[in-house]
Amino acid sequence: MLYRIVNRICGLLTVVALLCLIPSSAKAETIGLILTHGIYEYERIHDSLVSYLKKEGHADRVKFLIQRPYPDPIALGNASRKLIVADVDIILTYGAAPTRAMLRERPRIPVLYAGVYEPIAAQIASKNATGVCSKFNISSLVRYLRTSTTINNLGVVYYSAEKESTHQMQELQDISKKYGFEIKPLDLKYKTDLHTMLNDVEADALMVTSSPAANSSLPTILRIATSRKIPTASLLTSDKITAMITLSSDPVRQGELLGGMLVKVLNGTPPQSIKPVCSKKIELVYNVKDANRMGLKISMDLVTEATKLINK
Amino acid sequence: MKKLSALAKALAIALLIAAAVVLPRSSSAEDDVFLIGLIPEENIFRAIQKHRPFEAYLSKKIGVTVKFTILSRYGDIVDRFVARDMDGAFFGIYTSALAMEKLGVEPVARPVNLDGSTTARGYLFTRKDSGIRAIEDMEDKRAAFVDKATATGYIFAVAYLSENGIKKPESFFSEYYFTGSHESTIYAVLDGRADIGAAKGRVMDKLSAKDPMLKEEIFIIAKSGSLPDNTLMIRKDIEPEMKQKLRDALLTLDRNPEGAEILEKLGIKKFVDASRENFGAVNELAVKAGIDIGE
Repeated sequence: MLYRIVNRICGLLTVVALLCLIPSSAKAETIGLILTHGIYEYERIHDSLVSYLKKEGHADRVKFLIQRPYPDPIALGNASRKLIVADVDIILTYGAAPTRAMLRERPRIPVLYAGVYEPIAAQIASKNATGVCSKFNISSLVRYLRTSTTINNLGVVYYSAEKESTHQMQELQDISKKYGFEIKPLDLKYKTDLHTMLNDVEADALMVTSSPAANSSLPTILRIATSRKIPTASLLTSDKITAMITLSSDPVRQGELLGGMLVKVLNGTPPQSIKPVCSKKIELVYNVKDANRMGLKISMDLVTEATKLINK
Repeated sequence: MKKLSALAKALAIALLIAAAVVLPRSSSAEDDVFLIGLIPEENIFRAIQKHRPFEAYLSKKIGVTVKFTILSRYGDIVDRFVARDMDGAFFGIYTSALAMEKLGVEPVARPVNLDGSTTARGYLFTRKDSGIRAIEDMEDKRAAFVDKATATGYIFAVAYLSENGIKKPESFFSEYYFTGSHESTIYAVLDGRADIGAAKGRVMDKLSAKDPMLKEEIFIIAKSGSLPDNTLMIRKDIEPEMKQKLRDALLTLDRNPEGAEILEKLGIKKFVDASRENFGAVNELAVKAGIDIGE
């Protein structure tokens, strides 16, 4: 009897020992992901990342644990804490606000980000974090907007609680001085005011910053602006309803670059050894259909330079 | 008799063909149209709009319908000139030299810019915030050029790189592409789609005049020497009388209100005579860039 028990214990110990000997690469790592609700651009970054992992043969090495919070500081903070408690192996964040929310929790887990316009300006810095920036020149978006319409007053949708959004607002303030137009700030501090703000603003054109709070309401913003025949410009791409002009860092390229970084971390490279990179591929979408509908002159510069035209 | 008749017919056909080849031609295949090509220097839609009144004016002055057509890109302009049986073309700086060498076309006139110049310069430029200031900062960056067959939008840049020890630009830059127009090259750098660009200075100056931000955002790394600007060249077999009519129409454009209005629309002061001698600097630039125009 005793012999049998000892034998079984030995057998069990052998199995445990064997399990310990299996190389860690054979086991799928859990990737915690903050994918803010309702932001099409972030979905595109993620789709591109997943495609990249499949293409490069790394898809089986990861499994995703996804949090889809609304873009407000409390929801983002809660989602961050949940991923840390779940003890995931690596964390991915898309956008500056979710990345900041995660880094505020001081995780010891490596954090990789994408869709961050300017990491330094957004105060994203941690030895555990690296990622892909999506910086491009907002002045180009203003330039293209000016080829379509005369701007005396530019409405800017932003959210004062988001560093990145206020930074872009500041950039636009500086640009407005050079071109001699006025900025009409539309702060999304109280989302319930959105309809009133948009219906009351006296603006020749409307620009939507890359704020997740603003972009989760992008279809509503665009619908109201178009009904008031106000030309729109956006820094993030959208799905079914698009701004008249969208200039953004290509989300597909961002996903590929992030995928490359993720593979490096999976292979054991610490994030601090991976330099943040900026995606240099720019997407310019011109919604000719909306320009026509609003009775605006078609900008030939935009027709020529656009990477995508929306005609139907 | 039948054989003799066939021989006579063959002889007649041969004579007709010979006459068609040897005799000076008044205009293109369609005799009532004088077809002039335009290089795609700026946005083609705008170029077409700008040239409409000019077409009507020239048609009236030379007694033949003048039509302008945009040559879709610089690279095959000389081939297209032949294929589309054109009578003339406003060739660019390098394509003028190339067409003179390959087709023997003859210079007629060239525009005087609003600042009084008849020459152009190439600019090699970047965004001010790119940190690129000299050749050593350019390695592994993305470069946008206009077309291989442009002096200011490519050949000048290749010559500049070559003089600075870079003999193979294609392996020096991480990415290297052609946008097809000077404006697009400038926009590519402004938008951040390229780090370095080369384009005609006059096109940049024109955009700067409309856009006060441009001067603040662009840093010019190098400028080329003065090169003869776009020139109207015509086929060598155009009859002298027609050539003279065309030259007179262009050189007197600034002396009547209708012509002055056209010049204003074209954004130029007047036209002046052009000659082969103007192109010495282009040949020198090509040599520096390692290009043999005759090849």
